[in-house]
Amino acid sequence: MNNIIRNCIYQGKNLFRDGSFLFWGMTYPIIMAVFFYAAFNGMMNVNIEDINIGIKENKGISNILEEIDFINVHKIDESEVSEKLESGEIDAFVDGNLNLIVKKSGINQTIIKEVVEQIKQILKLNRPVDGSEFSVSYVTGKNQEANSIVVIFYSLIAMVSTYGIYAGIATASLVQANLSNIGIRINATPLRKENFLIAGVIVSFLMNLLANAILLLFINYVLKIHLFNDIKYSAVFIILGNLFGVILGIFIGVSNKKSSNTKTLIAIAVTLLLSFFSGMMGPWIKVMLDEYIPFLNRINPVSIITNNLYRINLLGSTRSAVEGAIMLLFYCMVFLLLSYVFLRRKSYDSI
Amino acid sequence: MTVFKYFLKIAIKNRWIIIMYVTIFFVMTVLNSNDAVKREESFVESKLNIGIIDNCNSELSNSLKDYLKDENNIVDTVEDEDYIKEQIFLEVADAVVIIPEDFDEKVIRREESVLVYKDDRKPQSIQIENQINKFLAFANITYENGNFALKDVAEALNESVEVHVLPSGEIEGSGINTWFKFYFNFTGYVTIALYIAVIGVVMSDFRDENIDSRRRISSKRFLEFNREIYLGQLTLASAVTITFIIASIIFMRENIWNVYFLKYVVNLIVFSFSILCLTFLINNITRNKHAITALSTVLSLGTSFISGVMVPQEILGDKVLAVAKFFPTYYFVRVNESMINSLSDIGFDIFMQLLFAVAFLLLGLIFSRKDLLVQ
Repeated sequence: MNNIIRNCIYQGKNLFRDGSFLFWGMTYPIIMAVFFYAAFNGMMNVNIEDINIGIKENKGISNILEEIDFINVHKIDESEVSEKLESGEIDAFVDGNLNLIVKKSGINQTIIKEVVEQIKQILKLNRPVDGSEFSVSYVTGKNQEANSIVVIFYSLIAMVSTYGIYAGIATASLVQANLSNIGIRINATPLRKENFLIAGVIVSFLMNLLANAILLLFINYVLKIHLFNDIKYSAVFIILGNLFGVILGIFIGVSNKKSSNTKTLIAIAVTLLLSFFSGMMGPWIKVMLDEYIPFLNRINPVSIITNNLYRINLLGSTRSAVEGAIMLLFYCMVFLLLSYVFLRRKSYDSI
Repeated sequence: MTVFKYFLKIAIKNRWIIIMYVTIFFVMTVLNSNDAVKREESFVESKLNIGIIDNCNSELSNSLKDYLKDENNIVDTVEDEDYIKEQIFLEVADAVVIIPEDFDEKVIRREESVLVYKDDRKPQSIQIENQINKFLAFANITYENGNFALKDVAEALNESVEVHVLPSGEIEGSGINTWFKFYFNFTGYVTIALYIAVIGVVMSDFRDENIDSRRRISSKRFLEFNREIYLGQLTLASAVTITFIIASIIFMRENIWNVYFLKYVVNLIVFSFSILCLTFLINNITRNKHAITALSTVLSLGTSFISGVMVPQEILGDKVLAVAKFFPTYYFVRVNESMINSLSDIGFDIFMQLLFAVAFLLLGLIFSRKDLLVQ
C-alpha cells in the first residue's frame, strides 16, 4: 500500500510537470470552450419576436390582422414595399387581392401566409361566422425548450472526460522497458510493475478529474452557461468517462510499439472522431446518425456520456443512465483485460 | 536533394498514421457536407417537422391528420414523453401532436382537444397551433345535426394565396451549391489539422537534436536545406489537397458544371499554400512534438469555429468575426460562401490569404535563422 501511495506522489508530480498533460488536460478544454462559446452563443438564446406585416392603408383586413397579438401591422405605401422588405422592417406585404409579396421564404412568411389564407378560406367556406369560433384554443401545449446547440458543450465535456487517455499512454510507457528509460530501470529492479501501473491509473484518473472540475467551473462561472441541474448523476458519467479514458490510454500505450508521438496522434484521432459522432462539431451530425445508424451512438462511449448528460440535466430523464453506465464499465473491463494480456509475462532479452 | 529524398522516405515510413488521419478527416468532411444539403432543403421548404399520434382514429381525427400531413413533414415518433421531449430538444421534430381517444367530443364541446409538445419560444410553435385551431374551428363551423362537413372544410382549406418573391441579386443556394460550400469549408478545417499534424510528424525526425547538430556541421547550406524541406512539405501537402479535390470531383461528377468549381479549387489551393507556410512557421518556432500536435488541434478547430466553417458567418457575432479576420480561414470561407461571376470578384480575399502566406513564410525564415544563430 505504501508503495502505491509513494508511486502516486511521484507520478503525480511527474504528470503535473509534464507540459503535454497541462496543455491537453487543463488548457485545451478551456480554450475550446471559449471558442464554442464565441461561435454558438448567439444561437443559444431564441426569443419569439413579433411578425411584421406591411399593408396598404385603409384596407378592411388590417382590423382583423391587428387583433392577432403576435402580428404588428405597418401601414405603408406600395412604393415603399421593396425597400421595407429589403431592410427587414416587414416580413411580408399583403396587397389588395390578399396576395403576398415577400423577400425570402421562411417561418415568419409562412405564418403570415397561413393567416391571410385563413381569411380567404373563411370566405370560401361560406357559413355564418361570428368570430367566437376563432377565439377557442383547441390545443393543450406542453413546452419543451429546444436547444440542440447546447449538445456541443456536453459533447466537449464528454470528450475531455476521456482525456485521461494521454496520461494513460504516458503511464503505460513508464512500465515498458522498450519505450522509456524509466521503464528500463523499473524492469531491471525488483519493483512490482503492477503497483506502478495501479498508481499510474489512480494519478491519471484524479488529475484528469481535477482538470474536468476546472473546466466545469470555468463554463459555469466565467462563461455563465449552466449545464448541470443534477450533479449526482452527471458526476457518475464524468467519472466513468475518466476511467474509460485512462484505461483506453493504457491499452493504446501497451498494445503497440509505436513512438509516443504516434500514440498521442492515435489518441487524438480516436477521441476526436468519437466526439464528432456525438455532436461536438454540430448536433446535426448526431441527429443524422441517430436516424440512420442509431446503433452507433448507443455504443460510442463519448455519445453515451453526451446523451446521458443532456438527458439527465435538461430533459430530467435518467432512463438510459443505467444502460449507459453498464456499457462504459463494460468497455473499461474489456480494455483493462486486453491491456493485461499485452503486459503480462513480458520479458526482454536485453535491456 | 538528399534532404528532400529523406523527407519523403520518413513520410512513407509514417504512411499508416498519415493515411489514418486523412481517412478520418475525409469521413468527417463527407458526412458533414452530405448532411448540409438536407439542412438547406428543409429550410427552403419551410415546412415543420411534426410527429402525430392518433389515439382516436375517427373521421375528424383522420382529416386533421391529412391536413397536417399536407402542410408539414411527418417524422416518426412514439407515445413516450421522454422520447418526445428529446425529439423536440434535439430539433428532430418542431412539434409532436397527440390526439386523445375522446377527441371528437372535446372538439364539439370546444374544449382543449389535442396535446402538442413544442418549444413555446419558437415561431414554429405558433404555426402548428394556428394550423390545428384553424382546422378545428372550421370543422366546428360546419358541425350540423351531429355531423361535420369535412369535405367542405377540406375544400375551403385548399384555397390559397399567391406569394410573390421579390427578385434579388443572389441566387438562393441550391442543394448542389450547398454541398460544395460545406465540403470545401470543412476541407479548410481539415487542411489545417492535417498539415500541421502530418508534416509535424515528419519534421519531428529532422528536429531531433542529434540529427540537427550533424546537419549544422555538414556542408549543406542553410537556405538550400530549408528549400528542400519546404519542397518536401509542399509535395506531401499537395498529395493531401489533391486527394480532397479529386474526391469532390468523384462525388459530384455530374454536378460539377452547375457550380463555379474553379473558384473552390483556386481558393483551396491558395488557402493550402497559406497553411503550408503557417506549418513551416510553427515547425520553426517549436521543436516540441506535443506543442505541434496541440497547435494543430487548437488552430484548426478554433479558427474553424470563429471563421464560419462550422456555423455560418452571419450567425457569428461582429466581435468574433473581427478576431477571425486575423486568420486566413476567414477569407477562405468568404470565398466559398460568395456568389461570383468571375474569379476577379474574389481577388481581395485571395490576396489576403496570399499575404498571410508571405507573412508566415518570412516569420518562419526569421525564426529558423535566429535558431541557427543562437546555436
